[in-house]
Amino acid sequence: MTTTPPSEHDIHAYVDGHLDGPRRGEVERYLSRHPERAEEVHAWRQDAQQLRTLLAGDLGATPSQEATLDPVAIRMRRHKRRVTRAAIAASLFLCLALGGAGGWAARGMGTGSTAPMADAMQAYQLLAVDHGVGMDITTGNEGDLRAWLAGRVGATAHLPDLADAGFRPMGGRLFATDQGPAAMVLYDDGKGHTVSFYVRPPGAARRLLPRGEREDNGLLANYWSDGWHNYAVVALADAAGRAAAQRVVVKAI
Amino acid sequence: MSDPRIDEALRPMLPRLRRFALWLARDPHAADDLVQSTVERALSKWASRREDESLRAWLFAILYRLFLDGKRRASRYARFIGSLHEEEPTWPSAERVAIAHSTLAAFADLPVEQRSLLLWITVEGMSYREVADILEIPIGTVMSRLSRARRALRLLGDGGAEIPPLRLLK
Repeated sequence: MTTTPPSEHDIHAYVDGHLDGPRRGEVERYLSRHPERAEEVHAWRQDAQQLRTLLAGDLGATPSQEATLDPVAIRMRRHKRRVTRAAIAASLFLCLALGGAGGWAARGMGTGSTAPMADAMQAYQLLAVDHGVGMDITTGNEGDLRAWLAGRVGATAHLPDLADAGFRPMGGRLFATDQGPAAMVLYDDGKGHTVSFYVRPPGAARRLLPRGEREDNGLLANYWSDGWHNYAVVALADAAGRAAAQRVVVKAI
Repeated sequence: MSDPRIDEALRPMLPRLRRFALWLARDPHAADDLVQSTVERALSKWASRREDESLRAWLFAILYRLFLDGKRRASRYARFIGSLHEEEPTWPSAERVAIAHSTLAAFADLPVEQRSLLLWITVEGMSYREVADILEIPIGTVMSRLSRARRALRLLGDGGAEIPPLRLLK
């Protein structure tokens, strides 16, 4: 002869089928005596049952969804994004550094034309000194490097085959410049000589370089153009570096 | 942190997360984005998860908060650009067919929290304790909100008087 209504918890647990034993009996007894409440509770049960049935169909996913939402894929994308972010940060930093260095190098120049391929020498200084720490692509495979170069700087940018000159590529690095994306590939002859091959578009002004050579700050730069891009080969300005650069330039032009 | 066991544990949860996201965002693309953000968050916060905590409840809580954060940002933005009405996402045609069912239509029209409560409790069969943990409210409050949600569903679903027999959905 219970007159106290069951708790809200027990009513819901009854609706959701979580209630067993005597408490379930109590709820049933109560409902049998309170038809208006019973109507609502049974309707709730019916609704719950319907929702379960109707939403069961939403569990399916297309294979492409499964592939994009798979944790492995998400992990990979996350990693890639981090690498890209780091690369963007690094190239922004380099832009500032090169811009600052270029500005410093251009001080006192009346017409405002900077020394040719100063960016190539800066790039060499940044990377060759640490022997390639911080490269975007590290491979000795010239085919891979060629494809990488074509994809980043342009299909017309060509990479010399320096195997005859005794130089093997170590990897490459992209730079953002005012003229567009530039790339540097580092070569090593296995005897401690590092030579860089630098290529950059001529820019909107199409400022192509005549063949030339200059020394600055202990570095030697040979530069030229093939009509599509400006190129530079940079090496240390010592006897060994000069000889190495000469071998490379002869092969590259 | 690239433990294949974590991926193994997450994988079976994905369809459930996606279903929940679909009913929260009511837009398949937004739902996929939500699930993806949830998995990203779960991967980066895996170490902070309590061992005794149910993985499903933990993931649902992450997804629910991400959704609310996104909604808050969106409404702030809407206020910022001077439009006061909140843009309701549109269902693509396939979903609209399913929505034609009165119970589903009512369910879709419920406020976000009521929709979540009903999905967690009646569809996912989660315990009241788990739901209380997700929403960070006492169990008693879960009970009263659940009553409100069930009444609202009734009310919106035409009182259930002329509910046709269950139709099979594609």
